[in-house]
Amino acid sequence: MTAIKYLTRYRNIAPLAVFRMAFGAVLFFSSCRFIAKGWINDFYIRPKFHFPFFGFEWLTPMPPAIMYLMYIIMSIAALFICLGLFYRIATILFFLIFCYAELLDKTYYLNHYYLVTIISFLLIWVPANRYCSLDVLRKPAWLTTQVPSWTILIFKYQLLIIYCCAGLSKLTNEWLVRAMPLKIWLPAKANIPVLGPFLKYEWTAYLFSWASALFDLTIPFILLNTSSRRFGYFLVIIFHLLTAILFQIGMFPWLMMSATLIYFSEGFHLNLIRQIRKIFGKGDPAPGEHYLPVNKRFQDTGLFLMGFYFLIQVMVPFRYLWYPGNLLWTEQGYRFSWRVMLMEKSGTCFFYVRDGGNGRKFQVNNAEFLTPYQERMVETQPDMILQYAHVLKQHYQTRGFSDPQVTVESYVSLNGTGSQLYIDSSVNLADEKESWFAAKKWILPYKNGGAK
Amino acid sequence: MKSKNIFLKAASVIVCLALVFFSCSKSGDKPSNPAPPTGTPDAALTNLGTNIILPAYQQLATTTAALDAAVTAFNAGPTTGTLTDVQTAFKTAYISWEATSEFEFGPATDLFLTTHFINSFPTDTITIRNNVNGAAYAIDGLGNYAAQGFPAMDYLLFANGNVTTLARFTTDANAAGARQYLAALSASVKTKAAAVSNAWSATGGNYLKTFIGATGVDAGSSLSLLVNAFVQDFDVNLQNYKIGIPIGLYGPSVLPKSPTKVEGYYSGFSDQLLIRQVQTIQNIYLGGLDDKVAATSALNNGQPLNDVIKAELTTLLTKIQALPDPLSTGIINNSPAISDAYTEIRKTTVLLKVDLSSALGIKISFQDDDGD
Repeated sequence: MTAIKYLTRYRNIAPLAVFRMAFGAVLFFSSCRFIAKGWINDFYIRPKFHFPFFGFEWLTPMPPAIMYLMYIIMSIAALFICLGLFYRIATILFFLIFCYAELLDKTYYLNHYYLVTIISFLLIWVPANRYCSLDVLRKPAWLTTQVPSWTILIFKYQLLIIYCCAGLSKLTNEWLVRAMPLKIWLPAKANIPVLGPFLKYEWTAYLFSWASALFDLTIPFILLNTSSRRFGYFLVIIFHLLTAILFQIGMFPWLMMSATLIYFSEGFHLNLIRQIRKIFGKGDPAPGEHYLPVNKRFQDTGLFLMGFYFLIQVMVPFRYLWYPGNLLWTEQGYRFSWRVMLMEKSGTCFFYVRDGGNGRKFQVNNAEFLTPYQERMVETQPDMILQYAHVLKQHYQTRGFSDPQVTVESYVSLNGTGSQLYIDSSVNLADEKESWFAAKKWILPYKNGGAK
Repeated sequence: MKSKNIFLKAASVIVCLALVFFSCSKSGDKPSNPAPPTGTPDAALTNLGTNIILPAYQQLATTTAALDAAVTAFNAGPTTGTLTDVQTAFKTAYISWEATSEFEFGPATDLFLTTHFINSFPTDTITIRNNVNGAAYAIDGLGNYAAQGFPAMDYLLFANGNVTTLARFTTDANAAGARQYLAALSASVKTKAAAVSNAWSATGGNYLKTFIGATGVDAGSSLSLLVNAFVQDFDVNLQNYKIGIPIGLYGPSVLPKSPTKVEGYYSGFSDQLLIRQVQTIQNIYLGGLDDKVAATSALNNGQPLNDVIKAELTTLLTKIQALPDPLSTGIINNSPAISDAYTEIRKTTVLLKVDLSSALGIKISFQDDDGD
């Protein structure tokens, strides 16, 4: 089979080694930054309740000291990934701890955390530590210069899926015709130096909307094509730097700028490694080719599983088609789909608990249960509204309520169309169940409100 | 090949760039340190800072200083006349507090001129009495937060009618303790108000300049701080504490209604305090946010959002002005004016928290995070 041949033929390891170093470095800084900003306390220690992902309700945060220890271990693991030291253990540890933290509470879900999760997962399976690494210094016999091409291609394909899905998700009326939400976000930045004066014009929002959709849809192909690659990477830098200037999106631009390095040719990467070696006062690496020994049966099984993995990667972003209603409004199938900065959405919700026994009804003070950050996320995301209703049910059950009924009066505004009732306020959410894929019938339909 | 080399070098600094970014981000983007002034000024921020916030703090500094002076005069010669003077000065100062409670960020937070310390009600009468009766206390101590500020003075000056109040400060066994505690209360509020006023003023800490300079809507920008602060003040302090809890909206285990939990319960001028707070919210909105909203295409129920908010704030103010006086009695009597007002408060909360913030792209409860 030619496909198998294409995936298993040997290629120079340099792109993979550079990718490991660059991405590992960003992961290390990102993890340290997370600790330094006190987010372990804010996100995992201070809240009384959490919003674990469906199927992971059994996960709870560890005691504070262990949480800190885990993040420190994770940061060290990221550094070790960068250096290529005890690489396999480091990647597994990083992936497990990062995954654990993400699954604990969907309040903190970000596309870029999902990106980190899957890239660190993929890194486990590739021999990125076999070149230009401390592992090779430790065990010179591990030195490898040629690896099967799939070890590099999986990252290129993964990034291709990400960009394409991000681009496709922008081909909507909201994004292209209404230029929302950029029409809201850009004028808010009208006072920054240099770019500021342009941002107040409506045409700027249209330009940015269309250009970014075009960028997302074409950039993987520009990068794959040898002759346009350098121009493509130039675009990558411009695009992601622009987003870094205009929006508060933390590490995302840096992750993407480091990840897309993988598209460069082996010649480029070998040069890059020479430059890095020069910084450390070392000459060119010794010539000679070392091929990665491969167990063919393992590799074939692995490739089959990889194929399955990519099939899922392509399908998951489109699961929203399964659900009725406006995706941005219901958010059913919104996560894990590379929908980045697609909406300006805010809400507020008043929860009511009714004692089924004596009929007494009262409003809940959300601040007693949720941190402001959690409350903000609950306000616009139906699955979190449901989870919170269950938290309330349980809480008041233990306080002696017979059959506590939970309802919510919830208002949400999407892309400046004005607040409207979001959830059917007659439904007792305490009795509604979460499920894998069933549509939530108690989300009220979205009315555009005549917005142009 | 030369261009390739240059490009190669450029790419090799990406990792270094990440390093630089990291070191900058650690110290640079904390909400407590807004960026220094850059770019073009924002007319709304200039107006709000110069003509609304700073004068409000100056007013609070003046009225609390007058209150403290009245307390000193009263303590030196406690008579019905000086008591009335203190009570009048107290009301004036308390009302001017309502025009500043919306700005709980920057100097107010740093210098503890916050609702938590200045306006925690219902006040802790047991601790106050203990303190008056000679218990050791630190007026600004963390454990003393509910026994200080305006609600504590409200209790000491109004709780039992003027005759008993005068006796408390003159003939009571612990009269000296009462005078001392009252003096400590008014001095504490005066000191904090003066400090915050000074921190905002151009001749002092000049936070005004920082405020005007921190443009944009990210976490730490002035607009984000301001909108978050006044929406919180409205949503939590006004809606929940000043009305919701007294009328018995929350809490399954307490009595359905708690009229004694209104703001300014002992002096009974809750309505005037509420009116001042709503007027201030209105002033903030009309102080430049209106222009920002009008410049967007934001709608509410198909109507331009700016018109809707302006109309709603006017309606709300009318309803608040129509509240029964004193509010606590109205609550006992199930006054329909209170539920009318509450309906408008609820509508306003939704408009401010959802529509306004979303039209301007400001995140409420903005936790600085890693972004998308």
